[in-house]
Amino acid sequence: MPSAAEVAWLIPLLPLVGATLVGLGLISFNRTLNRLRTPVAALLISCVGGSAVLSYGVLLEQLNGAAPYEQLFTWASAGTFNLQMGFCVDPLGAVMLALVTTIALLVMVYSHGYMAHDKGYVRFFTYLALFSSSMLGLIVSPNLLEIYVFWELVGMCSYLLVGFWYDRDGAAHAAQKAFVVNRVGDFGLLLGILGLFWATGTFDFEGMATGLSTAMADGQVAGWAAVALCLFVFMGPMAKSAQFPLHVWLPDAMEGPTPISALIHAATMVAAGVFLVARLEPLYNLFPQVLTVIAVVGTITCFLGASIALTQMDLKKGLAYSTVSQLGYMMLAMGCGAPVAGMFHLVTHAFFKAMLFLDSGSVIHAMEEVVGHEPVLAQDMRLMGGLRKKMPITASTFFIGCVAISGIPPLAGFWSKDEILGQAFGSFPLLWAVGFLTAGMTAFYMFRLYFLTFEGEFRGTDSAVQQQLLAAAGKGDETVHGHASSPHESAWPMTVPLMLLAVPSVLIGLLGTPWNNRFAGLLNPAEALEMAEHFSWEEFLPLAGASVAISVAGIGLATAAYALRKVDLGTAVAGRFPAINAFFANKWYLDALNDKLFVQGSRKLARQVLQVDSKVVDGVVNLTGLVTLGSGEGLKYFETGRAQFYALIVFGGVIGLVVIFGALG
Amino acid sequence: MRWYALGVSLTTFLITVGAYLNGYDPDIAGLQLRQVIPWVPDLGLGWSVGADGLSMPLILLTSFITTLACLAAWPVTFKPRLFFFLLLAMDGGQIAVFAVQDMLLFFLAWELELIPVYLLLAIWGGKKRQYAATKFILYTAVSSLFILLVALAMAFSGGGPVSFEYSDLAAKHLGAGFQALCYAGLLIAFGVKLPIVPLHTWLPDAHGEATAPVHMLLAGILLKMGGYALFRFNASMFPDAHVQFAPLLVVLGVVNIIYAALTSFAQRNLKRKIAYSSISHMGFVLIGIGSFSPLAASGAMLQMISHGLIGASLFFLVGATYDRTHTLQLDEMGGVGQRMRKMFAMWTACSLASLALPGMSGFVSELMVFVGFATDDAYTLPFRIVIDGAAAIGVILTPIYLLSMLREIFFGQEKPELSDANLVDAEPREIYIISCLLVPIIGIGLYPKLVTDSYRATIEQVVARDESSMKALTAPYLPLRSAPKLS
Repeated sequence: MPSAAEVAWLIPLLPLVGATLVGLGLISFNRTLNRLRTPVAALLISCVGGSAVLSYGVLLEQLNGAAPYEQLFTWASAGTFNLQMGFCVDPLGAVMLALVTTIALLVMVYSHGYMAHDKGYVRFFTYLALFSSSMLGLIVSPNLLEIYVFWELVGMCSYLLVGFWYDRDGAAHAAQKAFVVNRVGDFGLLLGILGLFWATGTFDFEGMATGLSTAMADGQVAGWAAVALCLFVFMGPMAKSAQFPLHVWLPDAMEGPTPISALIHAATMVAAGVFLVARLEPLYNLFPQVLTVIAVVGTITCFLGASIALTQMDLKKGLAYSTVSQLGYMMLAMGCGAPVAGMFHLVTHAFFKAMLFLDSGSVIHAMEEVVGHEPVLAQDMRLMGGLRKKMPITASTFFIGCVAISGIPPLAGFWSKDEILGQAFGSFPLLWAVGFLTAGMTAFYMFRLYFLTFEGEFRGTDSAVQQQLLAAAGKGDETVHGHASSPHESAWPMTVPLMLLAVPSVLIGLLGTPWNNRFAGLLNPAEALEMAEHFSWEEFLPLAGASVAISVAGIGLATAAYALRKVDLGTAVAGRFPAINAFFANKWYLDALNDKLFVQGSRKLARQVLQVDSKVVDGVVNLTGLVTLGSGEGLKYFETGRAQFYALIVFGGVIGLVVIFGALG
Repeated sequence: MRWYALGVSLTTFLITVGAYLNGYDPDIAGLQLRQVIPWVPDLGLGWSVGADGLSMPLILLTSFITTLACLAAWPVTFKPRLFFFLLLAMDGGQIAVFAVQDMLLFFLAWELELIPVYLLLAIWGGKKRQYAATKFILYTAVSSLFILLVALAMAFSGGGPVSFEYSDLAAKHLGAGFQALCYAGLLIAFGVKLPIVPLHTWLPDAHGEATAPVHMLLAGILLKMGGYALFRFNASMFPDAHVQFAPLLVVLGVVNIIYAALTSFAQRNLKRKIAYSSISHMGFVLIGIGSFSPLAASGAMLQMISHGLIGASLFFLVGATYDRTHTLQLDEMGGVGQRMRKMFAMWTACSLASLALPGMSGFVSELMVFVGFATDDAYTLPFRIVIDGAAAIGVILTPIYLLSMLREIFFGQEKPELSDANLVDAEPREIYIISCLLVPIIGIGLYPKLVTDSYRATIEQVVARDESSMKALTAPYLPLRSAPKLS
């Protein structure tokens, strides 16, 4: 029997086969298949389940110390150029495989409940399977070019899923924005890949790093050029992992169904950028400047996301900006030259953030019964409150998620975030300070979300607020279509995944304790040993204590402001510093800038080019036509039918020619 | 009537496939399947056909697309006999263009194929059909004059017996100035066809007025005649002049990509939008031809095949959508995805193919051009960076206009004006046509060697000749790099 690594190609293939079958079925037997909801879901879930089993097999093998496995075939060739494709598994890939299949599986089960009443149920599951396939393909890619292929494919799936409810204008715009912003990043990634291939003649991760360093040593590639290439490649992860300033697509992408936000826009696809940076570690480690840029970008993103999350009233948007902020932490870790720490945060964050998003989905699902299928109402926290008593499972798992992300030991977020901050403290103290401050903000905004949603009194039936919200969204003339007066806990397909996700959210951090880091032990045994050797409580406790202290401070402030109502932040802070409040509430004005500069700018440029095309270029053509026509019109009067006249013209012509040649000769 | 046309085109397709499978060996660079019948031996005129790696894939493409176009023309009710006659005549003309091995015969085939297009435009076109058809015929007729002139000039110069045979012409040693003159003439002739900006303005008009089946042929095959001829004549017969002109081709290619993508974005008419997108995609063909890398040239060839399939599918969908909405103005559409889901799915698939999504053929061909050009040592590094960087801007622009288009047609709530329109979903015939096109698109995308191997030997031969004359160049000028090569 072959080992799991040898059949790892099946991991992306299984969901693909499932998705293809169902997709073909949807085109050919649309009505029949739309009636077979449960069988289709069962088929696709078992496909992803099969991949999950294989992935865990691969992970077990890697844990037992199996060597990385790689298999390639020639995909394209011309001249001396040969392009290899294939698959590879190594510890990093194995961890990601297990993570992605687990969350994909749970999200699919959840979707069975969440999308139960949607007429696009089958289509939704098809897209989900397609996405899982592309994401898994990305993970097993052995070279940069193949990653680029799947990189684009996950982007396409994200486009399809964000625009899933295509009757909504918001979804249409968000889907397009997500794709185009990602293409901007891919532009850089593509150029970087081309440049690296030119410099090194390979797409292989290791080969590129060694090739580039020898090329630089030989003087073939200038140092600045190599740095530029690395930065170009980094543009791809910047867009995919929503790093400043290319993060603008992620909050908008929340227009997609909530399970998608959990799977794609919190746990897996957005993490692909971080994953790619981890894959390119050998390359980036050559250039400290590049690492600094990565760390700075990560820190800015981290702070930006948290600061905007402070003022969000939309539950999902709040979580989205939180994701942006956490992705910033991961990038900061990468920039500190600590990919293991970044990957560890990726894993812990994937679990608790997926859970938080699924919780928000559960809340929205419940709210829709009260206020109808209008995202403006169903996602706004001004209409929530007091949901803990009505939805205990959702509330308690959300609470666990809040504690985990705030970094309270011994939950998952503490260990991973603390490791990152510890690394930053050693490499870039200034960035550490920002990250430290952000940790406090994180605790504050997460508990703000929790208290506004689950504590206090239920405000969902307040029609004055409803009308106010609708009017603010420009939908003032719509009516509210609720059919229940109070929300209910969701059904088991939704609550069971929540409970299952709560387990790793609490426990998984214990795999990465600094004195016995089993996670690092898998990815980079040498580093784990070193960490364990250098570990001392004297160094660990002050930093960890400070992190916990600032988190507790954030939680305390949120409690005072939103649970006990002792502090009125509206007048205390927002009233006193209206400029700062407006700056955060308007998302640093980046969307406005983006719209003015790029969206309107490109439209204007395109219109001008079109004007040139139809007036100038085509104008010349039509003018030529007109001149020809005119000269023909003029010439027709010479056609008189009189032979003498023709003879005269011929004679004149001959004389003319003679004169010309005489003059020339 | 339509069954007859379909039968004929299908038989042609099967014969070409049979010829490919039985009589064609892709590993041979030279001509195969030769047939030569002298006609006027004194003038070297004769019937001379054959196929090599340049022609064979395009012949297959032609017969394939024509078969689908016959199927797409099913609902034509106005003068169907004439319509199908012209369609088949076009098929013959186009295959002849690709297959003949005699320049005078080439000129005849080239002209022969114009007449059906003119009539198809002028009789079955839209509101401005007369204008569009006249513009088309004037443009192409004037430009094909250059072909005749060059053919005659070449046949009668350089000594030796008069012959129009490609191989004889290529073997002639012509002076540098003469070569450059011939090259420039042919560049104009084929540049109109490809088209190269600024010689493109006939195309949006012609495409804007044509009916769907004609459209498929225009975009699918007609444009490829330009690219094929550039390979066949310019790159193969005048290697010395090609070295001088190649940078120009590359620059024009980038202009094509960006300029046409921008105009496409601003277009509000669906047909014209897709027409400009075709021009944009042809830019990659130009870059590939202008490079001295077998990979990029191979990519250019693949881009022609790939765009033949993708362009045909998009234009077919435009026609099918127009049949339902009766408008081509994007402002008058919106939200039609509510009632036409399968149509929406097919549009999405084909648009994604067109914006070079990996897993589809467009991605492979564009990537081959990118990588090939980036590693092409014939050009200086700054030139390569600028060109690849500018061409990569097209990577951003293409999704902007294609996805905006999808959004405006299908997303959102249905426009109230469309409530009277009969928005029935795609019928099996339409789904069949699109699937026939998508299967090779995805097939090439997954495993490009399927197709690239069929012309690899020939392309390598052409590029090797150009490369050797590039190396022999004594006084290289910017942006060509002088020998010795950077290793």
